[in-house]
Amino acid sequence: MTPQLAGQIELFLQVVIAGILLGGLYSLIGLGMSLIMGVMRIINLAHGELMMVAMYITYLAFSLVHVDPYVSLFIVLPALFLIGAGLQKYLITPVMDVESVLPQNQVLLTVGIGIVLSNLAQLIFSADYMSVPVSYASKTIYWDVNVGGQTISLSFNFPFLVAFAIAIGLGAALFLFLGKTDIGRMIRATAQDKRAAAIMGINTKRITYITFGLGAALVGAAGTLLAPVYYIYPAIGGPFTSKAFIITVLGGMGNIAGAVLGGLVLGLGESLGSVYISLGYKDAFGFVIFVLVLIFLPKGLLGKSSV
Amino acid sequence: MTKKAVFLVVPALLVLIFPLAFENPYILHMLILSMLWIVLGVSWNLLGGFTGQVSYGHAAFFGTGAYATAILVKSGQPPATAWWGLLVGGLAAALLATFIGWICFRLRGPYFSLSVLALSEVLRLVALNWKEVTNGAEGILFLPAFNDKGAYYYIIFAIAAITIFAVHRVMKSKLGFYFLAIREDQDAAESLGIDTTKYKLISLMISAFFTGVAGSFYMNYMGFIDPGIVFDLSKISIMMILVTMLGGAATLWGPALGAVIYILVSEGFRVYVGSGHLVFFGVLIIVIILFFPNGIVGSILEAKGRRERRTDNKDPKQVGA
Amino acid sequence: MRKTFVAAVAALAMTAGPAGAQEKVVKIGVPLPLTGAEAKFGEMEKQAYEMAAEEINAKGGVKGHKLSFDIQDSGGKAETATAIVEKFVSINKYPFVVGEYSSQCSYSVAAVAEKYKVPYLVVTGAADKITQQGWKYVFRLNPPSSLYNLGVFSFFETVAKPKSIAILYENTDFGNSTSKAMKEYCKAKGINIVLDEGYQAGAVDFKPILQKVKSLRPDIVYMVSYLMDASLLMRQSKELDINPQAFIGGGAGHTLPEFLQNAAEASEYCMSATLWTPQVKYPGAKEFFDKFKAKFGKEPDYHGVEAYAAAYVTADTLKRAKEWTAEAIRTALAATNMMTAFGPIKFIAWDQFTNQNRMETLVLQVQKKKYETIWPKDAASAKYVYPVPRWRDRK
Repeated sequence: MTPQLAGQIELFLQVVIAGILLGGLYSLIGLGMSLIMGVMRIINLAHGELMMVAMYITYLAFSLVHVDPYVSLFIVLPALFLIGAGLQKYLITPVMDVESVLPQNQVLLTVGIGIVLSNLAQLIFSADYMSVPVSYASKTIYWDVNVGGQTISLSFNFPFLVAFAIAIGLGAALFLFLGKTDIGRMIRATAQDKRAAAIMGINTKRITYITFGLGAALVGAAGTLLAPVYYIYPAIGGPFTSKAFIITVLGGMGNIAGAVLGGLVLGLGESLGSVYISLGYKDAFGFVIFVLVLIFLPKGLLGKSSV
Repeated sequence: MTKKAVFLVVPALLVLIFPLAFENPYILHMLILSMLWIVLGVSWNLLGGFTGQVSYGHAAFFGTGAYATAILVKSGQPPATAWWGLLVGGLAAALLATFIGWICFRLRGPYFSLSVLALSEVLRLVALNWKEVTNGAEGILFLPAFNDKGAYYYIIFAIAAITIFAVHRVMKSKLGFYFLAIREDQDAAESLGIDTTKYKLISLMISAFFTGVAGSFYMNYMGFIDPGIVFDLSKISIMMILVTMLGGAATLWGPALGAVIYILVSEGFRVYVGSGHLVFFGVLIIVIILFFPNGIVGSILEAKGRRERRTDNKDPKQVGA
Repeated sequence: MRKTFVAAVAALAMTAGPAGAQEKVVKIGVPLPLTGAEAKFGEMEKQAYEMAAEEINAKGGVKGHKLSFDIQDSGGKAETATAIVEKFVSINKYPFVVGEYSSQCSYSVAAVAEKYKVPYLVVTGAADKITQQGWKYVFRLNPPSSLYNLGVFSFFETVAKPKSIAILYENTDFGNSTSKAMKEYCKAKGINIVLDEGYQAGAVDFKPILQKVKSLRPDIVYMVSYLMDASLLMRQSKELDINPQAFIGGGAGHTLPEFLQNAAEASEYCMSATLWTPQVKYPGAKEFFDKFKAKFGKEPDYHGVEAYAAAYVTADTLKRAKEWTAEAIRTALAATNMMTAFGPIKFIAWDQFTNQNRMETLVLQVQKKKYETIWPKDAASAKYVYPVPRWRDRK
């Protein structure tokens, strides 16, 4: 085992680790959109902006009251739930009821909402980059492994590990929620066939409020978990919205396990691609995979979606 | 008939005479930008409002047109011959459209929209990374051929007039009927024997052509482009949609009105309020979508009891979903 | 014809100030990005311009007039910047334009100024080509990006003598042109470039590419980042335990005060090319730094002092100009030869550059959470630490 080969093995393993950990965070971002798209067929192009709102709440909690981001999850989750439900109730549902030439008005409404949110944030907070400098932001766990006489050193970033664990945890919780609880079943029913669900006595309007709220809460959690390792600024949302719908399509809409898988696939794809193919085109891989899956595997990688 | 002609000819003449009376470059600049956005809105609308295929990635065509011209000039032709770039830009964009259409028209509704977005972003990254051809992030610059804005004013006016006229003629022709049929119910149209893929492609190509010409014009007028400017998702692709929605998709003049409002609001805010014009714009969009879902012109037409050839009362939410 | 005359009189009346105003004011147009991604820098420069104007006016202004900068927000968009300058020139009739931040916007504004034959002073835009066009009306106070690294080059030759280098840069105009200069230098000197990659700004996770850098074991890791990427890159380099002889930045992100805050321990010993530090021996440098910090509560970096110096150059030019027309101001500007807190300002021509100020650039290093000038020796405020200690050996 030469040092060069060991270095290549270390490179590969480290890239895979980075991809998986990043993928966990991506999954959380995609989960919310998958749920919303699965149930209401709405593409929420303000998804990233909701994440931004959560990040600013996290920032305020940290800088004003010294609340640790992991604790402010308990603030962010309900806050974003309410915001999401409110948006659905007061803005999106009314539009869904209105007749117009193009059915895409709902999507464009979310575009408008996104523009308002990000520019309001800029007016309030300025375009400065905010950070949440927790002491453990760079905390790393090292694992030195002996491979054929050479030592390779793998590092795991602590906040990313926690984010990964929480993302998987929330994904599992959501899965159980949808599978085992009454509300969960009502959501799945509405996703499968809205009219049938309404006929069965389900208050589908209320279900849509709850679903949007859940979706918003999930992406809000992602934002809070991301805050310690990244930074916050008003225009942060855009690229994450793109990633969210790539993940949603990869996993199949409304498919929870699929969204988790989709996030991991995207994370790994970006990490491996940036090192072994091209760094400059890193963001393109996701888009290309997106179009390919849309065309050849319309029900997602797992072949199951609620549409 | 003559009354309608008067409504068209008199404003047109006013617009034409304007630069001769007022030489103020700043105002001319605003008008030129307005007309550029009129071209963008009207061309997008052919595919979006009239054919029902909502593209979220039209910046791909704008950027292609701009870069086609830029590369032409970079390869040595003096700026004056860059005027050929207008045509080249449009054709390059139309060519790209066949490629994008071939891939994306397999998909319907929102999936079509997002796939075009994805491809547009990929194109942006290509322009950013393929430095040998596009100069990457450093962009391409050359001094505009004409010092005086008047020339550009008349050129963009001609382009806008041609675009509006072309869309008008197309919609009045058999093509127009096919487009509307596809918009209303693609499957029904297909079952009636209309080759929907072919006609969607034609609509896209015409739409892309004019968007590409606009891109070429932009390069010639501004003298500087880079991938971030001409392939921009929110400032070009999405704005084209918003401008059309504001004025009224599926109307001929809606996008034009939306374009003018957009330019006026942006500049008005910038000058008098300093910032926050996008907040206002976002709120405006939300209000329009909630209360005037067919845009300003659409609502006016509705109020007058007419609509652009609605054949029945079919629920539009079923269309293309 | 008559309409133009009326418009011109109206514009003149507007620029002359409100009727009955007691003070005479001379206004100069300054486009800046006050919103958008570069707002941070735009804000800092705006504050610097205003602080300088206050000082100048307190000392009597310019030929009995108060100096006032009409600062307008371009949002960092070239389109808006050119619209602003068109307005400055045709409606406000300002005979002089100063400012803008990014290379892209400065470039577009310069083209407009040249077209209208109005003098334009570039303050921060660094891309070489801005003063390589042979334009007569465009002058640049700051060094072009290819010269940013001069201090670093001399450090390489005298101290570091590296054999290999990894170059990682943000895929923007600034990132491309600055790293290109480093690339050309390394090729000329036979330094092995093991990696040369551009990345998209705003990435969350640089670890894959950084791990690749680690596996190639370069002597120097050179990065060009505008903004927060600089701190992420350093933090993640620390996490991956990458140990080159030194980390060197290409300016911008690596010199911001936020870099120290956000990268925390990971910023220690990080070097960067820079155009200015508060420790330089130019008169007024330290005073500017202290006063700015006291007044605005944050530390200015070289962008701030560039704007501050530009304000002084403006005042000096206006004082020397025979009359306040575009041509006369241009002539006065071309003859500038003064010392500012940023350094000496004199516009000369060399190679393909015209109307370009030429200055030494420096190298700074973060030591004990502060920026210290380490090179050249006669400007140094502290001794350099090279090679930098391994991450695991640091306290």
